[in-house]
Amino acid sequence: MNAFGSMLAGPWNWNPLVLGGCALATFGLAVKYGGRVRWGWWAATVAVVLLALVSPLDALASGVLFSAHMTQHILLLLIAPALVLLALPRDLRSGGARRGRWPAALGWTAGIGAMWFWHVPALCDAAAMNGAVRAMQTLSLLGAGFLFWSPILFPDERRWLGPAAGIVYLFTACVACTALGILLTLTPVEVCPAFGPGAAHAARWTALREVVGFERDRQIGGLLMWVPMCSVYVAAILFELNRWFGGQRAVEEKVP
Amino acid sequence: MNHAATSSALTPEIIAAEKADWRLAWLSTVDHKRIGILYLLFALLFFVVGGLEALFIRLQLAVPNNTLVSPDTFNALFTMHGTTMIFLVAMPAVFGFANYLIPLMIGARDMAFPRLNALSLWIIPLGGALLHFSVFTDVPKAGWFAYPPLSSRAYSTSLGVDYWIVALLVLGIGSVATAVNIIVTVFTMRAPGMTLKRMPLFVWINTVASFIVVFALPVLNAGLVMLLMDRQLGTNFFLAREGGSPVLWQHIFWAFGHPEVYILALPAFAMISEIVPVFSRKPIFGYEFVVGSSVAIGFLSFGVWAHHMFTVGLGHTADLFFAIASMLIAIPTGVKVLNWSATMFRGRVITTVPMMYAIAFLLQFTLGGLSGVTHASPALDWQTKNSYYLVAHFHYVIVGGVVFALLGAVTYWFPKMTGRMLDERLGKWTFWLMVLGFNGTFMIQHYLGFIGMPRRVYTYPDFEHWGWMNFVSTVGACLMGVAALTLVFNMLRSLRRGAVAGDNPWNAWTLEWATSSPPPVHNFDALPPIRGRRPLWDVANPDRPDPKIGDDAVRSPDRLKSSMWTLIASEAAFFGTLLIVFAYFNVQPRPGPNASNSLDLFTTGIFSVCLFASSFTLWRAEVAEARGSRGGFIGWLGFTIALGAVFMGGQAFEYWELYRHGVDVTANLFASSFYLVTGFHGLHVIGGLIAMGIVLGLAMAGDFRERRSPLVAIGLYWHFVDIVWVAVLATVYVLPRIL
Repeated sequence: MNAFGSMLAGPWNWNPLVLGGCALATFGLAVKYGGRVRWGWWAATVAVVLLALVSPLDALASGVLFSAHMTQHILLLLIAPALVLLALPRDLRSGGARRGRWPAALGWTAGIGAMWFWHVPALCDAAAMNGAVRAMQTLSLLGAGFLFWSPILFPDERRWLGPAAGIVYLFTACVACTALGILLTLTPVEVCPAFGPGAAHAARWTALREVVGFERDRQIGGLLMWVPMCSVYVAAILFELNRWFGGQRAVEEKVP
Repeated sequence: MNHAATSSALTPEIIAAEKADWRLAWLSTVDHKRIGILYLLFALLFFVVGGLEALFIRLQLAVPNNTLVSPDTFNALFTMHGTTMIFLVAMPAVFGFANYLIPLMIGARDMAFPRLNALSLWIIPLGGALLHFSVFTDVPKAGWFAYPPLSSRAYSTSLGVDYWIVALLVLGIGSVATAVNIIVTVFTMRAPGMTLKRMPLFVWINTVASFIVVFALPVLNAGLVMLLMDRQLGTNFFLAREGGSPVLWQHIFWAFGHPEVYILALPAFAMISEIVPVFSRKPIFGYEFVVGSSVAIGFLSFGVWAHHMFTVGLGHTADLFFAIASMLIAIPTGVKVLNWSATMFRGRVITTVPMMYAIAFLLQFTLGGLSGVTHASPALDWQTKNSYYLVAHFHYVIVGGVVFALLGAVTYWFPKMTGRMLDERLGKWTFWLMVLGFNGTFMIQHYLGFIGMPRRVYTYPDFEHWGWMNFVSTVGACLMGVAALTLVFNMLRSLRRGAVAGDNPWNAWTLEWATSSPPPVHNFDALPPIRGRRPLWDVANPDRPDPKIGDDAVRSPDRLKSSMWTLIASEAAFFGTLLIVFAYFNVQPRPGPNASNSLDLFTTGIFSVCLFASSFTLWRAEVAEARGSRGGFIGWLGFTIALGAVFMGGQAFEYWELYRHGVDVTANLFASSFYLVTGFHGLHVIGGLIAMGIVLGLAMAGDFRERRSPLVAIGLYWHFVDIVWVAVLATVYVLPRIL
């Protein structure tokens, strides 16, 4: 079996906590909102979470490949929380006017802070090797992602950032990720020694690690943070623009 | 609206004085229309220079083994041709049109900052003079992107490259000033009813281009300063010895250079987006998509620069990511091509000269875009990089695209600027000569590249086919020269005896056609109601007006604050680049002096507290002014300046200590990058101190009793400088100790 074959056939982590959590959340949504949930988006959410935490990606992210770790990171921080917000009922009103807008400074700091915080070398290592820290990391990424996306994607439009502020919010997030991505790609900085040459790992991954190579592995990690992550933010910026122009259509219809 | 009525706002004395002293009137003008025209005239002047350089290049290459110019002269020719055409022709030309048209299109009286506008304009001849001053020492010969080590002291021994650097720095600063002015004008100066959703596409797209300028030029400026330090102070940022990196220059140059392509291409799109609908007699197809795709291009343009570096050896992985990102940017560009095509589809297309240029633009730019997509594939790029195929590609984009759009714009707006029509017959001659000449020059270069001719060679052996193909290319270039002459002749003749244009000769729909040609100094006597995207259509067709777009409220943020925020964004890009450079060189501690063994965090920390405290005292000064307490205002402001001065004293002390221990700027890359980052921060602190000193002096002399001081804007700047220091402190002093 070649290296990439072994990656796909790798161990699936049927973690009961993850599976139970997904089932519980689905059940909770069904009870609370029923048919108002956008089940297509919710199915996508569950699929992404399973991809990140149950598929062999999870095993690879536990000290084998830095790039797999970064993929998992992006799925949990950037993709899954956005999908959750899109799955919520469109008519959800959480006391909107009274509660005011989502605090953008908090959302931004949480979203970007999580990315930088978990790449402090000691913490990154601990999360890669220790199950409890890993669980904390997973939950904090999902939570931070939810806070980050809420000012943009929360169903209640009264709680959105304005279009201009929204674009600045997303653009600066993109810049912050790019800065870290550039450093990871272009310099020999080592943020996660657990994935480095000296680290111990199961024998089944030896071939894979050799094929990918440590240098390239780190570079892919940096590039993932730089290019695809920023593409998500840019896509969200276009989404904001579209919503702004769409808002005009609503006004147009009112004019006889 | 006739002339007598519109000029009544000016007293006859002023008009007479302007007539008598017309040279002084143009030299000292702050009128955006005159400034726009001067931009275009400077662009024309340098176009002649750059065009002659191109002709000499082509004449030298016309036949194999030619000896018309020496190899050295040839290198100087292509270096100056590229630099001149980008920085002194294309950018002034697009700025010229933006300057002339944006205030008219949004129904404003002038740009937001007319005097800053004049300054940016006069920086163009200053930069041009600096660049060409190198003629007296030695002309730069390192190509328009000046890769080290060729551009380093060892291989470019004369001062040519230094003049090149200083000229580009000056021009870069002027461009940022222009971009800030355009952005603030668009956001704060729009007429009642001119909401963002109704704004002409020309204005929208130029605004996006201005944002690119604001973020891209500082990156180049940071790189230029480092190159100048390498050449003049003996640092090694871009020299492989002592751990410097020539590849870093390429990253910095192309992080600017690729957005620069869109700084030129987007305004070309802007012009085409106005011309195509008017001569198709239809509104633009998919206004929102044109805006959205422009914004997408603006963001994506910053993420794809590495495709200029596929042959450098970034590794397959990096190549792969940037190949995909580069192909992505073809999508929004393609969207626009479809928008324009769909606008023409089933329209009543009128083939006036401007429309013919627009159609030629569409075809040629698409060809250039397609060959561009081939360069996004690393495997193909490796084969064709630095061949004439590449030369053909970017000339299809820049000449076939941008220059043709500019020619379309010249012929379209000439009646507005001068009040006279250009001759259509002669214009068609110019057009066809240009099309023939352009495609004759560059189409065949695709093949020349495929059969192996490299770019930037001063001559070539008599290989099969090379001779005649090059000759064809040279003939084409000469035809373009003839076309340019016919255009100039046409313009001069029209100025004297062209048909009178009237307000709106093309039956166009945007506001610049709602005033006389040329417009009066104050632009408009009265504006038509603005309730959609084509106000003049609504005026001409009251029975079937366009649908009303959105609501009428125009939000105009504060002019001073907006300008300061835009400047801060630009400065953030500058400092961001410097900090990434610092991190790039210092993620692993260097042998010799480094952050852990040379910097005294404690002392610097104490002086930093002074700087941070000054943000607080400045805020108190603002509060005191708002409350009308002059004593408090002056006192707190003086205290702020004192705190800033203490910080600067601390920095001077730190420098002295380092210098005393032999850590000068050439000691190693830590020292070079340390002085680079902290030095520029210090310069900004000094700039802030001078600005506050002026306000303080004026206040003590009794000013600002009647009006608010500009302290709010200066305060924003000062807080920004403090925040930069937080980032510097973290990156330079703290992080290297933790990691």
